[in-house]
Amino acid sequence: MSEILQASGAIDARRLGQAENADSLRARNTRIAIGDPVMIKVRRSDDGRLQEFLTPYTKAMRVLDALNAIALKDAPDLAFRWFCGSKMCGTCAVRMNGREVLACWEAVEPEMTIEPLRNLPVIRDLVVDRTPYERKVASFEPWLTRTVPYPGFPEPLSHRDIKNASKAIDCISCMSCYSACPVIRLGSLTDFAGPAPLVQLGQTALDPRQDQRQVARALSHSGIFNCVSCYKCEEVCPAHIPIVSGVIEPLKAKVVKLVPQMARHPLAFRAVVARRGRIDPGELILRVQGLRVLAVIPRLIRLLLRGKINPLRTLLGFKTSAAGAATRILNKTESSS
Amino acid sequence: MRILKTQVVIVGGGAAGCYAALNLHRKGIKTVIVCKGLVGKSGASLFAGNLVLSGRTLGNTEEQARNTAEFLIKYHNQFLIDQEWAKRCGAWIASVYYPELEEAGLYFRRDDGGNMVVSPGKIRSIAANAQGNSGVPFMDLRRKQVIKAGIETIEETVVTALLHNADGSIAGVFGLQVLTGEYVIVLAQATILATGYSDRLHARSTGTREMSADGIAMAWRAGASMVNLEMQWWHTNDVAYPPTWQRMQIYPNPMLGSEKSARMVNSDGEEFFDQQKDDPLAFGPYTVQLKALAKQVHAGKARYTGGYYAGFDHCAPGEVEAFTTYAKVYQQLGMDFPRTLIETAITAHYRQGGIDVDTTTMASSVPGLYIAGGLGGHCNGLIALVTYDGKVVADGVADNLANLREPGLPGEQVEQERERLESLLTGGEGAACAPGELKESVRAVMWEKAGVEKDARSLNEGLEEFARIRREAVPRLRAKTPVRAANYDWLDAIDSLNMIDAAELVVLSSLQREESRGPFMRRDFPETDNESWLTANLLHKAGNGYRFEKRDYNLSMFRPGFARADNLAVPW
Repeated sequence: MSEILQASGAIDARRLGQAENADSLRARNTRIAIGDPVMIKVRRSDDGRLQEFLTPYTKAMRVLDALNAIALKDAPDLAFRWFCGSKMCGTCAVRMNGREVLACWEAVEPEMTIEPLRNLPVIRDLVVDRTPYERKVASFEPWLTRTVPYPGFPEPLSHRDIKNASKAIDCISCMSCYSACPVIRLGSLTDFAGPAPLVQLGQTALDPRQDQRQVARALSHSGIFNCVSCYKCEEVCPAHIPIVSGVIEPLKAKVVKLVPQMARHPLAFRAVVARRGRIDPGELILRVQGLRVLAVIPRLIRLLLRGKINPLRTLLGFKTSAAGAATRILNKTESSS
Repeated sequence: MRILKTQVVIVGGGAAGCYAALNLHRKGIKTVIVCKGLVGKSGASLFAGNLVLSGRTLGNTEEQARNTAEFLIKYHNQFLIDQEWAKRCGAWIASVYYPELEEAGLYFRRDDGGNMVVSPGKIRSIAANAQGNSGVPFMDLRRKQVIKAGIETIEETVVTALLHNADGSIAGVFGLQVLTGEYVIVLAQATILATGYSDRLHARSTGTREMSADGIAMAWRAGASMVNLEMQWWHTNDVAYPPTWQRMQIYPNPMLGSEKSARMVNSDGEEFFDQQKDDPLAFGPYTVQLKALAKQVHAGKARYTGGYYAGFDHCAPGEVEAFTTYAKVYQQLGMDFPRTLIETAITAHYRQGGIDVDTTTMASSVPGLYIAGGLGGHCNGLIALVTYDGKVVADGVADNLANLREPGLPGEQVEQERERLESLLTGGEGAACAPGELKESVRAVMWEKAGVEKDARSLNEGLEEFARIRREAVPRLRAKTPVRAANYDWLDAIDSLNMIDAAELVVLSSLQREESRGPFMRRDFPETDNESWLTANLLHKAGNGYRFEKRDYNLSMFRPGFARADNLAVPW
């Protein structure tokens, strides 16, 4: 372990994979010869079918260039939204071969299926209704409210203190992450606001100048603990925002401080690990549900039969040898956060 | 058909329109914004790369303050600007603009020690979050301020006509909601046009998809006067490909936290422009660059459509990436950054001229019609300047609101406009002319006949081309399918007619100005002529035709200092 840590001393972990990514970007920009056919299959909303088009490859062609070419030649009635064409307005996101991309930014594939974003109503063809997202953002009061008077320009502020908010400010609200999120896909089963609205919230909530009462109000209806940290959002974010690690995790930490009643499950989880050095599902259930466990006795029996819980271990306060270390580490992160 | 009544309607949701709305709201005046795209997300304001420090802000010296004023007047406006207005505007930017933005929450980039990151030099600038991307958080802030204020916005709605009262004053606007295909009318005592300065009238243009000179065309039809429409600016450093990135600039101005800036080389690999060496005062060195490029083109070492290159191969990667977004273009194309240079080409950027306004109130020559931002002909439309316009127009409208009449619903005009738009969806005679193709042909004419370098012959050929397009293509213009929701083909048809109107006015104005000045280059009049043309080139509507007029500028601070000189030898 220590050897690995030492060996990786020279490597910036955040840059791991960047070289490979650059290689693949090079490949994506050079694998089709100019003039070769690009096959585009677009999901049309009138009949739900994929309509096929061919257009010749032009130098460094983007998905949007291909869409513009077929709109000019074959399908002027194809509906797709874009304004800036250069990764600033965030209105042209679509799914290409099942992956969310900004049409203006992504290189074309030799054969590609283009579909509208998921998790939002389709207006026509590739144009989605942005209003559900906009309503969520507005409900978070996404503006700065100061608790002390503004001292005048320039006010004292360090980049170090606003780093996470600064990352979130790169958001162009393209909703790629909102489309890729598997929890949003569950619909009304959860009250999860979704990655894009949380990034918008993070712009002010992670700003040291912001009124924490306003942050608490927003977080209390964010459903943020429904995030399963699958990193799908980060994977598709064209602005390269560390949505989970740089926004959602810090926001969760804020919930613990500002709205602790929302964080019963993670706080209980942490307490169990700190005490025992590992998770004990039985204790976790007892801590989170309290007396309400009595209402779900048949489910407890099923958990017992499948070996998911062990009442004896739970009640005897069984600890692993890692308990001491876990307590020490978790206490340390608590004092530093 | 939805009909709303308000005190003020603003067309456009960029820096000028939003700030006008926020100021009117503060004064308790009921305001509605109609935006062709999305408020704060469409139009040119997003493209603000960094924010120039004016006056004595942030430790600017007296000399730096004077340099900033000089570069605005000389390099950005070639003296075609009211210098008293420039003074008022500069003072406001220094005292109000930065504090207002920061107090509202805009993050001006600091380093880890808490110091504001500034580009050094004779003219200094700062950035919102990251250089190259300042407009994005700037406009996102405006969008949220508008939401917070509860100002009504009607988005993705194209205004297609200005409506008149019986006395000729403006009664409001008629629009089409693009996503639903439904019509909307907003009646108001005052109408503010803030549709921007950078229309896609040329084959290569920095204007965004929705920018099609609607403001110019509608205001002209309503009787407003124009000024200096020929003064077209060009970016020399936009990437040559892919086409959708034609407004993606390799910014030539100084980098934050560095002494360096991008350099340009010709097809032989010879460097021909580096702002730090070639003109350190020209903070926004677009005209200086353009002239340097024109010389390369004349020498056969570059083309306006490519064959020359720009980049940062003289910089360390960290130097570029610390505070700017400039590497993203190279990285996304899989190029070796910063060692590889990218091919660049000319792009029509903003129109320095526009609608003629009274700069004390931003009133146009038509009662009830006000202008804010780059659409105005009073200045070139940097984001700070257009924000000032938003303040001035709000004051101008508020002061005059009591004198502006309550609008009535002009039923006949509404019916005419409805029929005109319906015929673009379903009407037309014979074989249809595709709206997208018509747009492309207008752009091709502008590019070929009224491009960087032009003369009377090419400009007259351009006018003939437009006459032919009007005769042969326009009567057959219609959308392919009559679907109403999100029919961008229908929108293209509406846009293309505005583009023809505006393009013709630009060509006429170009013929009138018989000199070369800054980015305006006439092959048949290569000299900058301060004896005859240090003047506004006004274009008035007269009956079914037009007439030109000259008007002198206030030159209280700076003067050119020569009578006539070869434009390519003039530094600005």
